[in-house]
Amino acid sequence: MSLITPLYDSLWNEYLVWSLLVALFTFGWLYHHSFFYRSEDGENPNVDDLEVGVFPVHYDDLKLELAWTIAPFMLIVYLTYISWAPLDNIWSSPNGGSFGDECDYFNNESSDLYFDDDDGLKGAYKANCYHTIEITAKQWVWSFDCGTLEAELCESGFTEADGRAVPHLSLQAGNAYLAYMTSEDVTHAPWFVSLGVKEDVLPGQTTTVWILAEDVEDFLLLCTEYCGDDHAYMMAGVTIHS
Amino acid sequence: MGRNMTISRSMVALLLISIAMVVSPAVNSLPTGVNYDQISAGGCNCHAAAPNAAVMVTLDGLPEEYNMSETYQVTISFTGGPSAEGNANLGGFNLWASGGEITPLDATVQSNGPSEVTHTEAGNDYTSWSIEWIAPSHGRDVDFVVHVNSVNGDGNAGPEDQWNKLTLKVAGSLGPGLEEADPYKVLATLIIISGILLAVTVLYGFYRTNPDAFDWEHLAPWLTEWLTSTDHKKIGTLYFVQGLFFLGIGGILAMMIRIQLAVPGNDFISQDQYNSFFTLHGTTMIFLAAMPLINGFANWMVPLQIGAPDLAMPRLNALSFWLQPFAALLIFTGVFTGEGADTGWTGYAPYIVTEGAHTGVTMWVAGQIMLVASSTLTGINFLTTMAVMRAEGMGWMQMPLFTWSILVANLMLFLSIPAFGVGLIQVYLDRTISTAFYDISAGGDPLLWSHLFWYFGHPEVYVVIVPAFGVISEVLATSARRSIFGYRSMVYAMAGIGVVAFIVYGHHMFTSGMSPSLRFVTMLTTMLVAVPTGIKIFNWLKTMHGGSLVYRTHTLWALGFLVTFTLGGISGMFFPSIAMDTHLHETYFVVAHFHYVLVGGTVFGFFSAIYYWYPKMTGRMLDERLGTLHFLTAFVTYNGIFWPMHRLGVVGMARRHHTYFITTDDFTNLPEWAADWNLFISVSAFLFFFSNFIMVANMLISLVRGEKAPADPWGGWSFEWMTSSPPPTPSFDWHNPPVLKDANEHIAHEPGRLGQWFNRLMVPEDHEEVSH
Repeated sequence: MSLITPLYDSLWNEYLVWSLLVALFTFGWLYHHSFFYRSEDGENPNVDDLEVGVFPVHYDDLKLELAWTIAPFMLIVYLTYISWAPLDNIWSSPNGGSFGDECDYFNNESSDLYFDDDDGLKGAYKANCYHTIEITAKQWVWSFDCGTLEAELCESGFTEADGRAVPHLSLQAGNAYLAYMTSEDVTHAPWFVSLGVKEDVLPGQTTTVWILAEDVEDFLLLCTEYCGDDHAYMMAGVTIHS
Repeated sequence: MGRNMTISRSMVALLLISIAMVVSPAVNSLPTGVNYDQISAGGCNCHAAAPNAAVMVTLDGLPEEYNMSETYQVTISFTGGPSAEGNANLGGFNLWASGGEITPLDATVQSNGPSEVTHTEAGNDYTSWSIEWIAPSHGRDVDFVVHVNSVNGDGNAGPEDQWNKLTLKVAGSLGPGLEEADPYKVLATLIIISGILLAVTVLYGFYRTNPDAFDWEHLAPWLTEWLTSTDHKKIGTLYFVQGLFFLGIGGILAMMIRIQLAVPGNDFISQDQYNSFFTLHGTTMIFLAAMPLINGFANWMVPLQIGAPDLAMPRLNALSFWLQPFAALLIFTGVFTGEGADTGWTGYAPYIVTEGAHTGVTMWVAGQIMLVASSTLTGINFLTTMAVMRAEGMGWMQMPLFTWSILVANLMLFLSIPAFGVGLIQVYLDRTISTAFYDISAGGDPLLWSHLFWYFGHPEVYVVIVPAFGVISEVLATSARRSIFGYRSMVYAMAGIGVVAFIVYGHHMFTSGMSPSLRFVTMLTTMLVAVPTGIKIFNWLKTMHGGSLVYRTHTLWALGFLVTFTLGGISGMFFPSIAMDTHLHETYFVVAHFHYVLVGGTVFGFFSAIYYWYPKMTGRMLDERLGTLHFLTAFVTYNGIFWPMHRLGVVGMARRHHTYFITTDDFTNLPEWAADWNLFISVSAFLFFFSNFIMVANMLISLVRGEKAPADPWGGWSFEWMTSSPPPTPSFDWHNPPVLKDANEHIAHEPGRLGQWFNRLMVPEDHEEVSH
């Protein structure tokens, strides 16, 4: 089962495997004990001699308790460790990070986004340089500003989705984009569903999100920070063309 | 000179306005046809202000009573008005029907939707138009509304033109259809019905206490006794009844949400109503259902378990309770005015202080400020009680685990809720006297609210789950006829959860504009929650080892809790990993996760508590067969609701959306099977909702004709099982107060490992004193 993009897939799969192992262990134990240690009909032995008004005998085992303190701790340390890897991508610096600097259009520099399987623990996206776009949100419409980018690289307009006119953003596959975002009224958050990223858009502040357009696809962008009446209709069409 | 200029300028402006007024309506209506939505309220007022009887409208071809699905040819025509032979244009029309399908027959008419037609540009030259109407198959009455205008042909719509309107009812064989109800009215009606049912139940309860004295002279003092009581048992029962009542109200809200989401694009609830329904669902379930249920059991059991006569401050306890129903009234005020709070239970700023938010938000905030006061008083009260009123022989480390869980929960609540109170007061002032705490243009910070809210909000969800841990510890140990495995590590684990709770809240804000380094730190701390929780689960499993598990309904619920809570815990491990959280945040994966821990954890835990302590509280045993039936139906349908939500969230279904989008040719969103699963979830939700009435029925039936309960029906050890069922007031004989013995007497006064290590470091001056 895969999630969305290579950046998350390997992480998701590994988490799923560990979840299954933990669930199998716990539920196997629970299943066995629920039947193996049930009392037979009519039989009701008071195993630890529970008696009203008497604090029962201690029943513990320091080694066991330490075992299931340390084992889960080691597991979560490991899970945290593998969760580090994609952070370099998600919060990459706009100045010479994973995606280089902003593309130099005088020299026709191209972004050349690709996924490097061998980089780090779980692979990472790399790009030569990136393009900048702006996203502005207000109740309940997105507006995309491509700045001076050529229409091939970025184009904004309107399209129809679910029977209503919605904003449309068209990007080119194989390019990394850095979106500077702000809101005119309340908090919103664009969710690039097929890219698995979202980031809040706040009034009076600028937040950023990396849009790594690798594959050719069309998907809906949804608002995922509650913003009032038409929150669900605050969507946009995103097209990543070749 | 200047004066003349002003006058001529004014004249020009007036002229421009007049031209604009004449021109602009014409642009909207003629000659492209008229839209029913625009004219249904005010009529064709672009032609003239009021309808004119000079225009005679006729609608030919419609039967008195239609046959289902038959096709009829209908002609719309008019006479009279300024329209005359030789004019450039003659008139236009709009025909709307409440059912069936209307199709144009020629180019003079165009379709405006399945059951609406209007003229085309070519149709302007006629005074009669023909269409075809396919009668609906539902057999209900159909209303027709036709608007016709007669124009003078000058090409402009103006007051010289005249219009009229005709409404016609065509009977169906099945008579009038059901009128569509406003969801707010449905909700308000259901709340009122629930309230009446509660009142009837209470009256019946009074009637059963003494059937011969069922009159006002006896009812008044009986009611006064309940309303003014400071007895911890009576207040506990009040909390319990309030909690169950609002569990039902929250359930009704959830059912309305599920009807809306049963199919994509549903319009059962409008979006603003949907928003206020999920807001009230969350607020009700957390603050008015879960917390009172917990407080109900805490009020009942904590004084009994520690052998105290009552809580330390009984009047304060009554105040804590009585703040709650009034807070509930404030929170729900908006529903009855059609403007329920619509901010989500998180109430994110700045939306909560904008004009767009419903007016009910102000009352909702006011109600929650009262709940903050109530919770603070409860916290003080319980902590004091546990600190100073334990029976002789009961040290901190001999308190029953349920009491420990209430201590940890109240400590967390007591330390976190002031932040929430501060935030609420800021919002309240912003909304009422226009302060600017969250006004962005005046320098307010939207993240301030998020921090204040989640600093409280995350401990809060542990506040409602930790008491369930306490219940499960009691129930499993008693059912397995064992003492709990690792009592001390259970206490330390709960305390650990209580500490960690305060440093993890940032994981709710991974996608906010919060500083990445802060987000990174909370990713590490959030993972840590798994450790103490894991200890608890493994300790419970080990408790069963070598035991003799007696299957009762409360045992079933406790085992069910282990399954669902573990699943909720595992799905919770996906969120601290920020890379996955950027996808999963605000999706149904989150909804599935927190319902697995809050319903599968808190609610299942407290269902277990109901079956476990009900005999103690009422003196009557519950019916085991009904209990088992309740467990089986509720457990299966519960998983039917929330398990599919995980997958829906992953494939792209966002929460707090009143509708969802199935993939079309143009844009990918949810796959087609998502609609089927949503229908499945809605059906399961209704089954789950109704299955819980089995428990309510069980409680009511048992109250009347249940078997009498012995003092210790399950064989527990703590003090509550020492008194009779139900316990007398005072609960214990105070000439002979309870004293806790310790089966570990031989080791009870020996120092622990840490103490031994300290002792080795110390050189005691007086050996006698140290040994004590």
